[in-house]
Amino acid sequence: MFNNTKKFLLTSVSCLVVLCIVIFVWLGSVMGGKSYNAINEVGSLYMSEMSTQLQQKFDAIIDLQVSRVEALIRRTPPESVTYGKEMLEELALSADIREFEHLGLYRKDGGSETIYGESVRFLSEDEFQDVMSDADKSITSGFSKSDEKLLLMVVDAAYPMQDGGTSDVVVAGMPMKYLEEALVLEGDSSMVYSHIIRKDGEFVVRSGDAFRDNYFSRIEETISQNDPKGPGHYVDELKTAIEAEENYSALLEDKNGIHQHLYCAPLDETDWYLVSVMPYGILDDAIMNLNSQQQGLILAACGVILFAVAVIFVLYYRLTQQQLRELERAEKRAFQASQAKSEFLSSMSHDIRTPMNGIVGMTAIAMANVDDPLRVQDCLKKISLSSRHLLGLINDVLDMSKIESGKLSMNMDILSLREVMEALVNIVQPQIKDKNQHFDIFIQNIYTEMVCCDGVRLNQILINLLSNAVKFTPKEGRINVYLSQEESPVDDAHVRCHFRVKDNGIGMSEEFQKKIFDTFSREDMKVQKIEGTGLGMSITKVIVDMMGGTIEVDSKQGKGSEFHVILDLEKATVDEEEMILPPWRLLVVDNNEDLCYSAASALKEIGVQAEWALNGRDALRMIADHHRRNMEYEIVLLDWKMPDMNGLETAREIRKIVGDALPILIISAYDWSDIEDEARAAGAQGFISKPLFKSNLYLGLSRYMEGDTREEKREETVQRFEGLRILLAEDNELNWEIAEDILVDAGFEVDWAENGQICVDTFEQSDLGYYDAVLMDIRMPIMNGYEAARAIRALDRSDADLPIIAMTADAFSEDIQRCLECGMNEHVAKPIDIQKLMKLLRKYLG
Amino acid sequence: MTVKECYDAIGADYEDVMGRLRKDERVQKFVLKLLDDKSYELLENSIASQDMNEAFRAAHTLKGVCQNLSLTPLYQSASELAERLRNGQEFSEDMKPLLEQVKKDYTHMIDCIKQLA
Repeated sequence: MFNNTKKFLLTSVSCLVVLCIVIFVWLGSVMGGKSYNAINEVGSLYMSEMSTQLQQKFDAIIDLQVSRVEALIRRTPPESVTYGKEMLEELALSADIREFEHLGLYRKDGGSETIYGESVRFLSEDEFQDVMSDADKSITSGFSKSDEKLLLMVVDAAYPMQDGGTSDVVVAGMPMKYLEEALVLEGDSSMVYSHIIRKDGEFVVRSGDAFRDNYFSRIEETISQNDPKGPGHYVDELKTAIEAEENYSALLEDKNGIHQHLYCAPLDETDWYLVSVMPYGILDDAIMNLNSQQQGLILAACGVILFAVAVIFVLYYRLTQQQLRELERAEKRAFQASQAKSEFLSSMSHDIRTPMNGIVGMTAIAMANVDDPLRVQDCLKKISLSSRHLLGLINDVLDMSKIESGKLSMNMDILSLREVMEALVNIVQPQIKDKNQHFDIFIQNIYTEMVCCDGVRLNQILINLLSNAVKFTPKEGRINVYLSQEESPVDDAHVRCHFRVKDNGIGMSEEFQKKIFDTFSREDMKVQKIEGTGLGMSITKVIVDMMGGTIEVDSKQGKGSEFHVILDLEKATVDEEEMILPPWRLLVVDNNEDLCYSAASALKEIGVQAEWALNGRDALRMIADHHRRNMEYEIVLLDWKMPDMNGLETAREIRKIVGDALPILIISAYDWSDIEDEARAAGAQGFISKPLFKSNLYLGLSRYMEGDTREEKREETVQRFEGLRILLAEDNELNWEIAEDILVDAGFEVDWAENGQICVDTFEQSDLGYYDAVLMDIRMPIMNGYEAARAIRALDRSDADLPIIAMTADAFSEDIQRCLECGMNEHVAKPIDIQKLMKLLRKYLG
Repeated sequence: MTVKECYDAIGADYEDVMGRLRKDERVQKFVLKLLDDKSYELLENSIASQDMNEAFRAAHTLKGVCQNLSLTPLYQSASELAERLRNGQEFSEDMKPLLEQVKKDYTHMIDCIKQLA
């Protein structure tokens, strides 16, 4: 395709170039021809004009000379003279005065008598006879004895002659030079030169370089044989024209290649012809000059056009090539994408089929062993494992399709990082325990525990990273999670959170790190047997991107991987409950210095005087020291897993020193149900879960030191709703009564609407601001909760935006979504959880 | 018969309901009101008249009430029935066992509550 375009372009351009050249050459030659013709026409006109002028001049000269001869005759009238010396002298004198070279008397029979000058030899005797007998003609030519060419005027006059006869004519001769000079037939000033010839071609007056006697032979010799018609043709034409006494015009080329314009016209009163010749040398030069200029211009124009065409061609060619390249790239991309998808599909179908086969197979085994409960139980366990795995796969695929169709949305909510980390620990705990991996969470520099974020998505990111770490780290491996905060470059309302998940697992190759966030990628071969869709990381990346954060990976094959997520999260504006504890003396014992440091600084912030020890022995020494000085520690926080001397041993030793009075709390990132009995036996009072957030420490310490203080607090807050009015839409009387009971207890005034319609009507008829909130059941007769919420929101009242909280037994996410879409603020699942409801109401009404 | 004994007889979760309603008398008051609750009748009538949407709503309400009072057995059977009836499906044979279960749980529960009264 590429070559075809090239070929086509080349062919078309060369055709264009050839066409261009042909057209311009043709144009040039046509123009040249045209200008040549024009010059010829101008030449013809000029020549005929010239010729006419010469003719007139010739006529005038002839007339003058003839009249002079007639004057001579009048002076000596023939009738009154007798032949004698007197007449001859008189005539000779007159001839002398008039500067005639010759004067003679002639008769038609041939008799002649020379009176003055030398005798004359006529050029043509026939012509002389013809002139004598024709009254209109009076000119002929001849030569004197001394071979001077003479112009002879023949005028009728009957003078007596020596032999006794009477003359028919008087002939007076003038040197032909006179005529030539008078006519200016020759001269450098004129381009044109002329000859006068007789009908038979003999020259009468000859000018220029002509030396032959006959003009016809001159033509035949001087005209080039190259002339297309040949010299003979011109001679014939000229002879014919002369015979018919017509003008003749022709264009000739002489042997030197110079063009000549020939113009012939008969002269009156003679048998002669005036031949004018204009050599075209000068004109030719002018034409040539013009032509070459024209050619040059045409060539230049041609060049410009060709150049323009070439430029356009090159540009167009480049454009096409670029388009082609882009096309190829797009094709490649599409191909890669489709390949990735088909690879994904095949691996997906494999991944889906494996657990599905497990389920089918296990079901069959269970069926066959219905009577063996142990066997069935085992099968069911495996089935539930496979199902869970399958569910995970399907969730990933659905998430991905949501992402690909751009439907992934963020639900910003206030959440506690502590709760997020706790949930994270709870979720991955079983997996970590299965593989007997070492797991720890470290937090540092926590400014703000409460942030605005999509909790579900944040969880998804962290769980993805963490479960990958668990998956790709062998048994007994180490997995650490770090959380730290710093000031955000965005603004003061944000805080920059660093989440890092680090493992010492199998790691990744450099190449794979580059495409780890691509859809459907998974490092092949050795990873094939590890479950997963290969979608997790790309989903993670998309979510991080949507949150405006970054994710980086640093990994070495065989050494482990570290994922680093940076998010700028908005600080939640909720007032954190004031967390101040009495200035207890407290000792933190943990082998990790970072943890000790951050825990101690968090404890100091809530008013506790904290010190720390990095191992059991130091801790024992410090406790013994304080014991001696009677400044007993009031609480000990003890890490369970420590090298050298573990938490269990340390606790026992502490008890030996200070007895049972000192409360010992175990800090652990693990589920402590396993160690609970052991720990309690060793004298631990309770547990605080890692990571040690401020709130964590506060709640844990206050719970174990003072009993549950939160219970009392809640009772106090319940009283705060005095006088607030709630409209409760609930179709079931019993449910309504329960809700009413609870709400009235909390100080609310509650009105009942039995269905959505009544709810809307009641609200519409109430005074502005009468109700503070609406609690809305979803499934109601006549009008359901969705419609009712919409109807209330659509009302034209300033308080139509009051909080509407949905209550329903349906806790599907679509239902929640629909509630929000219908304009409701929140959704609580039934059964009514007083605390949650109160919390929500506090959020909207408090 | 105490409320707790009644709950134990039904197979319901007394701790749970106390956690929510806090007072024994209150629980008793509401449980006794169940005797007047018309949801179950509505369910039976709707099924009889093939009004499946109404039947779903009735089952749903029953489920909600039981959930509020932590009456676990009926809550569970009513839930299952409600899920089966969701989206207004036509009556089919496989609904019968679910209906039977609801009827059994309901009857048993009402019997127990009557003893409390």
